[in-house]
Amino acid sequence: MSRLATLTARELKAFWYSPVAYVVGALFLLLQGFVFWLLIAALNDPGTDPSFTIAQTFFGPTFFYSISVLITVPFLTMRTFSEEKRTGTIEFLLTAPVRDSQVVLAKFLGAWLAYIALWSATIVFFLFLRAFTPFDWAPVLTGYLGTWLLGGVLIAIGVLASSLTRNQVIAAFLCFVVILLLFSVGILDFFLRDPETSKLIRYLSLLDHLVDFSKGILDTRPLCYYGSLTAVALFLTGRVIGHPRWRS
Amino acid sequence: MPIPIAVANLTKRYDTVTALAGVSFEVHAGEILGFLGPNGAGKTTALRILTGMLAPSAGTVRIDGLDVTERPLEVRRRIGYLPEHVALYPELRVQEYLHYRACLKGVPRRARRERVREALEQCALADVARQLIGRLSKGYRQRVALSDCLIAQPPILILDEPTVGLDPHQIRQTRELIKTLGRSATILLSTHILPEVEMLCHRVAIIDKGRIVAIDTPAQLGQRLRGTQVVRVELCGEPGAIEPALKQLPGVARVTLQHRDDGAAAFEVEADQQRDIREAIFRLAVERQWTLRELSQLRASLEDVFIHLTTREDA
Repeated sequence: MSRLATLTARELKAFWYSPVAYVVGALFLLLQGFVFWLLIAALNDPGTDPSFTIAQTFFGPTFFYSISVLITVPFLTMRTFSEEKRTGTIEFLLTAPVRDSQVVLAKFLGAWLAYIALWSATIVFFLFLRAFTPFDWAPVLTGYLGTWLLGGVLIAIGVLASSLTRNQVIAAFLCFVVILLLFSVGILDFFLRDPETSKLIRYLSLLDHLVDFSKGILDTRPLCYYGSLTAVALFLTGRVIGHPRWRS
Repeated sequence: MPIPIAVANLTKRYDTVTALAGVSFEVHAGEILGFLGPNGAGKTTALRILTGMLAPSAGTVRIDGLDVTERPLEVRRRIGYLPEHVALYPELRVQEYLHYRACLKGVPRRARRERVREALEQCALADVARQLIGRLSKGYRQRVALSDCLIAQPPILILDEPTVGLDPHQIRQTRELIKTLGRSATILLSTHILPEVEMLCHRVAIIDKGRIVAIDTPAQLGQRLRGTQVVRVELCGEPGAIEPALKQLPGVARVTLQHRDDGAAAFEVEADQQRDIREAIFRLAVERQWTLRELSQLRASLEDVFIHLTTREDA
């Protein structure tokens, strides 16, 4: 097994052993269950707008979607570096013959895979729904893809926050606030009525891209945007972790 | 064969404090070098730089001829490091942890099981192999960390206070183990316990306030300490004449040049303790009309360190 795989397996195991992961997981699934219930209610209501689609409700930039992300990501990432820094295990980790980049990537992958696993559990809803009503799978699948990729960006930001402090609570809070700010960028649109700026804001707003994903549109622009944001956050994390090793 | 550990002029400055001020030493193959000094002397900082945890502000560290900052991975592969504060993942079982560390340290898959078993045995951990690390006593955890050092059979071991927090029985066991390991590995061992050094080390470097005050075999160090005084003197005068003149003073055993810059030269003069050599040096300077820039007794600091150490030796 390569070192990256060893490190990632260790991260995933840490979730397995941590009670926080179970609490957050349960909360997340409860919330998603509620969303699913709302979805069924809307489908059953004859007065529902005909443009209503399942994927857009489930993966769209809705209040419940934002809440689900906001409660899961900080809890999944707060531990990654803060815990190792606080207990001192980081010294064992960083004096082993592994690259800083491998450590950062493994921390990211561990949390991201856990995030993906959480969301993947909701596939059950669609399988269930499928038994009663026909719907198009494509937007659902791109909806998942968009959710996972957006999750990648936010997890990377959470890992960066965690690398900055030895206090998990601060790491979680920092992550929460940053995600909240990123999600609120769209609000600026209301105040600036300039159409050009508004285009820029819509492009920068992380959540707005979800609309496309949940319509079944696969555009390379949001893929690049999400990908590069993730890369930047992880790169910065690497610099933070490697900082004491710099010659000054 | 390259020298296992070669440290030259190592300096570490933090914003306001200088943790290390030009430390130089070498550890030869198969040697156990003791790093002896009171708490806060800079031992841990030095070891952290050696293992690549920290970057030095100046100076170089070469492990087997490889520069620590330039080839960090190769260096870390050669070192087994026991940090000062042992911190392990509490939710893992001892065996599981060692297996994980063996993977990280690149022990080949086929050899892993055997290496874990050996490391457990070497550190007398076989009984607790299946226990959760979080449930172990401090002494056991220390030994788990030590067995982690040994798992990849590195040629160099860097141990930061390996016996701290152990009970007397465990201390004896650990010292025995280090002695055994010393037959096949080069060891740098930091401690603030004097007898430990005398028991284990071939040579000792005494470090205080970020400087190496003395480096010698334990026996010679003791002798030097008892019978001599060391004075630091800096003189301006005829460049070639100062050293021989100092050597001729009555009672002087050794004169070592520290540094030289435009016309001035600094020496450390070692003499027996019959009389205060500083007076003789002063008279010499007056007689030859050399300018005296500095004249101070160094021995005191070495003594201080020793007193410091001997008073808490049974910690």
